[in-house]
Amino acid sequence: MARSGLTDERSRDMTTMSRTERSAVGGHARRRRRRRVWVSITLFLLPALVLFVFLVLAPILIAAYASFFKWNGLGGPPTDYVGLGNFRRLFDDEVFHKDLWHGVVLVVLSLVVQLPLALGIALLLNQRFRGRAFFRVVFFAPYVLSEVITGVLFTILFSPETGVGFAQGWLADTSTVLYALFIVLTWKYFGFHMILYLAGRQNIPQELLDAAATDGATPWQQFRHVTLPLLGPTIRISVFLSVIGVIQLFDMVWVLTTGGPVHESETMAVTMFNFGFRRFEVGYASAISMAMFMISLIFALFYQRLVMRRDIQGAMTVMGDQR
Amino acid sequence: MSHVHAGRRPRPGRTALIYVAVTLLGLTIVLPVIYGVLGGFKDSGQLSNNALGLPEPWVWSNYSGIVKTSLFWRQVGNSTLIALGTALIVVALGACAAFVFARFAFRGREALAMLFMVGLMFPPAVAILPLFVLLRSFGLLDNPLGVILPQAAFALPVTIIILRAFFRVIPREVEEAATMDGCSTFRFFWSILLPMARPALATVGVLAIVTSWNNFFLPLVVFNNPDWWTIPVGVQQFKTEYSTDYARVLAYTVMAMVPALAFYAVAERQLIGGLTSGATKG
Amino acid sequence: MLSLTRRSVALGAAAALLLAGCGGGDGDNSSSSGGSAKKVTIEWWHIQNQPPLRPVWDQIAKQYMAQHPNVTIKIQPIENEAFKAKLTTTTQSGKAPDLFQTWGGGVLKQQADASLVKDLTADVQPWIGNLQQIALTPYKIDGKLYGVPWDSGMVGFWYNKALFKKAGIDGPPTTWTAFLDAVKKLKAANITPIALAGQDKWPGMYYWSYLAMRIGGADVFTRANNDFTGPDFIAAGQRLKELVDLQPFQKGFLGAKFETPDGQAATVGGSKAAMELMGQWAPSVEEQQSGKKLGDDLGFFSFPTVEGGKGQLTDAFGGGNGFAVGRDAPAETVDFLKFFLSVENQKTATATGAVLPTVKGAEAALKDPRQLEVLKTVSGASGLQLYLDQAFPPAVGQEVNDQVAALIAGKASPDQVAKAITQTAKSQ
Repeated sequence: MARSGLTDERSRDMTTMSRTERSAVGGHARRRRRRRVWVSITLFLLPALVLFVFLVLAPILIAAYASFFKWNGLGGPPTDYVGLGNFRRLFDDEVFHKDLWHGVVLVVLSLVVQLPLALGIALLLNQRFRGRAFFRVVFFAPYVLSEVITGVLFTILFSPETGVGFAQGWLADTSTVLYALFIVLTWKYFGFHMILYLAGRQNIPQELLDAAATDGATPWQQFRHVTLPLLGPTIRISVFLSVIGVIQLFDMVWVLTTGGPVHESETMAVTMFNFGFRRFEVGYASAISMAMFMISLIFALFYQRLVMRRDIQGAMTVMGDQR
Repeated sequence: MSHVHAGRRPRPGRTALIYVAVTLLGLTIVLPVIYGVLGGFKDSGQLSNNALGLPEPWVWSNYSGIVKTSLFWRQVGNSTLIALGTALIVVALGACAAFVFARFAFRGREALAMLFMVGLMFPPAVAILPLFVLLRSFGLLDNPLGVILPQAAFALPVTIIILRAFFRVIPREVEEAATMDGCSTFRFFWSILLPMARPALATVGVLAIVTSWNNFFLPLVVFNNPDWWTIPVGVQQFKTEYSTDYARVLAYTVMAMVPALAFYAVAERQLIGGLTSGATKG
Repeated sequence: MLSLTRRSVALGAAAALLLAGCGGGDGDNSSSSGGSAKKVTIEWWHIQNQPPLRPVWDQIAKQYMAQHPNVTIKIQPIENEAFKAKLTTTTQSGKAPDLFQTWGGGVLKQQADASLVKDLTADVQPWIGNLQQIALTPYKIDGKLYGVPWDSGMVGFWYNKALFKKAGIDGPPTTWTAFLDAVKKLKAANITPIALAGQDKWPGMYYWSYLAMRIGGADVFTRANNDFTGPDFIAAGQRLKELVDLQPFQKGFLGAKFETPDGQAATVGGSKAAMELMGQWAPSVEEQQSGKKLGDDLGFFSFPTVEGGKGQLTDAFGGGNGFAVGRDAPAETVDFLKFFLSVENQKTATATGAVLPTVKGAEAALKDPRQLEVLKTVSGASGLQLYLDQAFPPAVGQEVNDQVAALIAGKASPDQVAKAITQTAKSQ
């Protein structure tokens, strides 16, 4: 359903210009109209484009440039060109390997624990019972708290001195710290994914499930063969956001553990920060930035091509497939 | 709970199970916050000897001390100003851009749209050093615009994605009718499209506000002057300043949650309702 | 690109000066710079964002502004780690605050190389003689002075005498073997021997540094010449591993910070561990973070010697705090610095117990017998090595911290540590 909705949309995406062109009679009027359209496009697009180019693209380009230099970031522009030296060093950097591994672990945990939990709760909340609105509000609430506030709260909660018995020292133990971090992330973010699933679920016409039920499908079969496939776009986008979130994870780790103990909860962004802000190796830090950027980009392209097949925008907001 | 029509009423036995499950989960969400709220009513001695119990006696000075300082309120004001400024700019510019991407066909459209999507892959934390240099050369340090503009720039991709999808589904007939009535492109955008898109605009606005409210790194770097600090920066600073007194830090953290949760209570419909059912208005 | 170590310095002369040089201070120094009342603002970043020093600094600035109505001092107290991050972004854009915290060494050298900080040699000439010369060493780069210290001391063991007694330890150990014995006795008596801030990393670095100095001699880091794979450094790692294998640290030490209610200082202050290896500020932080006073139970002893090593008990490792002046700072900044370091103001700061003064004569305000002991020890020291994470360029310093932390966590061998540090040092 979602897919057809999207193609439909695309075909419906008949635009002002093509339409005016079609209806235009004389070549003169047509040219004038065309010019007017271009003026409109420019006027509407320019402000956003300028802001974006100067404050998002320019920093990316500067970081890309700096990643080819050995540069302590002090004084003038970088001069000590090292080619791909920083990237070669990155490949050998054990801390960076650890970062990647932590990313993989967090993604896997998200996929096997956090997202199924969110999906399960979403399906529960889709049932009719008194107070479900209340629970929905509660589950989503942590999402609106900042990572700093959440982090500070949980640092104190996990503290050996002031913390809660069983959780004391979780952040201090190399073997538990990553899981403790994951717990806090799940606490904060599962509600967000739950909302996505809830929305996706509510878009599945009840008639379909009723029809399946009349055909004698068990609840599990209904879920497996109707609900789950129809939730496809939502699940794909939820997975996508989850992975991108893990790749870029910074604030929470910084407040909770600063990446420790001994790098056991470190992420790429934390490593980047350490090199850029503590070791004054801005060139190398920029290379880490670029690695994060490339990994995100490659993942996004790969994912879009192989998994989402261009339905990224539609599914992203759960709005495209609504009609 | 606005637009939920789906869902059957389950059998009583299953209802009980559902209640058990959601209550357990609800407790894991709520208990840490309650621990924080109660912790704020303790002193540091109580907090370490009696982390879980009720305060005894209840210490009010942590909270009252914070409420009385102008510092906290100033940070609330700063965060509000910056969040509203960010939302305003990103909604205005994002709506214009999304309009172009959704309803005009022109060469290079997809490439341009892709350009914006690239921004989605680039977290602000990564760009912080070059961004800082740029802001400096624009003279935007210690200036709320130094946080508002980059935040708006980084929020543009998501905003455009959401609004573009929304604008697309507004039926062609509406536009044709408008054009037939002699509506200019701008008039159509301003008086027809935008009003129809109000739920979506509210959603992206609210998303921008929440993101801005929670942003930590950028304001930390841009604002040298404590007069401009936002809530997350203030919380972090408070934590280090009163590192001896976790009870007080908890009180400050809880106080810092209040505006966000209050806003959530008010804008819940836009945030959730917008995400879930905004397009039904189309 | 940088020579790796600050030279270890003979301290004998300084000790003599310390005893002799009281009288000649600058006394009252109001109305110093000329009458030109041009309005200037001094932006001052310091890391004393907590009492007891924060109000003292505020007071000093207020006094100065009262005497110099044309000067406004904008004070910006920032927490240590946040300060480092903030200073990085600022300096990266080619600017520095007018007056800011520095520890000297490799970091300051980088700033000096980028000409972000002012060469103060000539400006402070008239009054720099009032300071103990040994304290200036970390701030001297290629013979020029780029910073002025207001605090200087050394690292050693702060121990709880009562807990030592309880474990049946007669006196502070002076050799590594005796030290390990003491740790074992404490363990046997069910006392946590040592508190360590594993998350902060730099406190762990102290152990490796001191061991290397005790084994290879006070100038071991100078002689290393960026190669830390020599037998002295490997041996230092092995000795440290001996200690780590005894599991002497408090529960959860890997996640502990130095300055929090559950951190290293508080653990010692609250008598939950018998000792910590820390600098001159330890007693005041212990008291502040734990809210308890150890009083006479707190003692100080120098890092023990290692049998067969070249180092002596009197070789010191440490440093202190200072201020550097930004390149574009108004001339009044140096004048304020002079005022800041007047005997009176140093005495006020010293009286808080959080400072070991650098101005001669200010030590009269030291009441705490333990701090006097540190001062005595450092004055009698045969050499001084600056903290490695400051002495080295930041990249190398952080690598040392990182690698030693990995060793302490059991995640790296002494060999790996030596190799990794050398690799980073060579790449600089």
